[in-house]
Amino acid sequence: MHFFSVVRWIAWKDLLSEYRNRENISSMFFFALNVILIFSFSFSLDPDTLKEIMPGIIWVAFGFTAIIGLGKSFLIEVNNDCMEYFQCLPVPKGAIYLGKFLGNLLFMLTVEVVLFPLFVLFFNLEILDQFLPLLLISTVATIGLSALGTLFSALTVQIRAREVMFPILLLPLSVPIFIGAVEATRGALSGDPFSMYRHWIELLGVFDVIFVVVSFWIFEFILDY
Amino acid sequence: MNRFYIRWGVLMVVFGVIGFLGLARYNREVRTISPEVLLGQKTDSEVRVMGMIEAATLEGGVDGAPFRFSLSKAGTKVPVVFSGDDADILRELKTIVAIGRWQAEKGEFQAAEIALTPNYGFIASAYLLSLVPLVFFLFYMERRVAMLYVMIKEEKVYQAEV
Amino acid sequence: MVATRFIGWLRRYEKWFGITAAVLIAVGLYTALVTSSADYYQGEVVRIMYVHVPFVQTAMFSYFTLFICSIWYLWKREAVVDNACHAAAGLSLFFTAGGLITGSIWGKPTWNAWWVWDPRLTSFAILFLTLIGYLMLRTFLDDKEKGATFCAILAIIGFIDLPIIHFSVEWWRSLHQPLSVSTRGISIASDMMIPLTLMSVGVSILFAYMLMVRTQMLYLEHLLEAKQGRLLSEGAL
Repeated sequence: MHFFSVVRWIAWKDLLSEYRNRENISSMFFFALNVILIFSFSFSLDPDTLKEIMPGIIWVAFGFTAIIGLGKSFLIEVNNDCMEYFQCLPVPKGAIYLGKFLGNLLFMLTVEVVLFPLFVLFFNLEILDQFLPLLLISTVATIGLSALGTLFSALTVQIRAREVMFPILLLPLSVPIFIGAVEATRGALSGDPFSMYRHWIELLGVFDVIFVVVSFWIFEFILDY
Repeated sequence: MNRFYIRWGVLMVVFGVIGFLGLARYNREVRTISPEVLLGQKTDSEVRVMGMIEAATLEGGVDGAPFRFSLSKAGTKVPVVFSGDDADILRELKTIVAIGRWQAEKGEFQAAEIALTPNYGFIASAYLLSLVPLVFFLFYMERRVAMLYVMIKEEKVYQAEV
Repeated sequence: MVATRFIGWLRRYEKWFGITAAVLIAVGLYTALVTSSADYYQGEVVRIMYVHVPFVQTAMFSYFTLFICSIWYLWKREAVVDNACHAAAGLSLFFTAGGLITGSIWGKPTWNAWWVWDPRLTSFAILFLTLIGYLMLRTFLDDKEKGATFCAILAIIGFIDLPIIHFSVEWWRSLHQPLSVSTRGISIASDMMIPLTLMSVGVSILFAYMLMVRTQMLYLEHLLEAKQGRLLSEGAL
């Protein structure tokens, strides 16, 4: 089988099964909605403070959503005994990683695109003129998050206490994503010119490239232990 | 196992001696007394007095004239004369250490040197909190390895296993 | 057979490392606590440097060792190299914790706070959390070989991430407040340099010695476990 067709079919399979049962996306979405609700109760929401803490709220909600969604990414494969079939595929194992990564990226982006209007609605944000930069920031940060998350999901799904270990491994190592995403979002929401927060997006881009490549290479060892 | 304990005993003695020397240096060069004790003992050997420079008492220091100020702690004041040029350490309301001799006939303290307040509590806690766990950690590991070799020797299948 | 030769080699040569480390640290501590002079700005409290800096350097050195051993394990798949990885991770956690504690104690008199979100402190705190995650991952794995592979992967990913974390935290801090007081600006007098060098080299060699001892300890524990398991199963049969 051709390398890219494996990538495509694995991503397609994930999307199709998600389209049929909508388990993952709906749980991610309603979890994020609950997080937003709890945040709106926990902070005093006068407009000035809100501007200061809003990027943090957005990215904490997205981060928790990623933990819920990405952690289960490989669980379905283990439950259906598909890991052995993955090991038999006559292509570099990185193709499986890329397929899974693309599927996860699309789930996360879908949830984020649905959630952003809700943030606007609940917290009275004005983001219409900043729509493109925000979309760029979310995409770049989500690529990094799903690159690390997919790798750690494949790793923790095969051990005991996987629900605990996944965030414990993922969160410290994704600190640069959160710092970069929060600072860039803060810049975009306060209406700064793009050049003032461009370096954060570049940082996220460098992170993405490094971790997609490294994970692609190292994924071989996770399946072939 | 005996050699193991002897080795650790020797190590402990060596580091105990270093600790004792450090303590001796602390008593000699760092320990301070308060103005009240200084007025009480009336010796003319070199002592270190710690106290706060009283507000509006610091004067001198222009054209090589000696600094004069009064050092106080808990209500007791001592007049101090200092003829060096450590002007950036000497500020009013700052706690300092004056090193020098008490001159009973003049009724003032002749300071040869001014030093910052020592914070040996921090140093002692830093050294203890890092080195004591290190020693325990290492001792436990070495002891465990020594015991494991004995236990492995007593198991009969050593050759076949490896 | 490679493992027995390796362990035999460790057992034969460890004492030279131990003796060198003990002598260097003894002389280093003597010069640090007794003969060296106090700093002009910081006073006596500068003596914390002689234990803090070696601990921090050794923590980074041991994490680098963990990285090298992890690559070596993925390449050769020797169980004894995995023991070395496990040992290096434990020691790295120990020295990182020591560096954080002494740094925090040094920070109180110099910065007037036990903790500041200084880039170096923050990266070290994240390194600490990563190492705890690494050691937790080890306890949750049943299959030994699989566990060793996963831990090696985690160590490699973490090591690659560490410079990015440090870089991003540095940017983040410089955005919100100027960098905290740094010791880099203060030139170090020669009588401070001697104890600092002695302690740094001494603690690094001590780390090599501890790594040798701990690798033996983990290897022997697994050997004993396997042996007892074998005896038990033979007895049951």
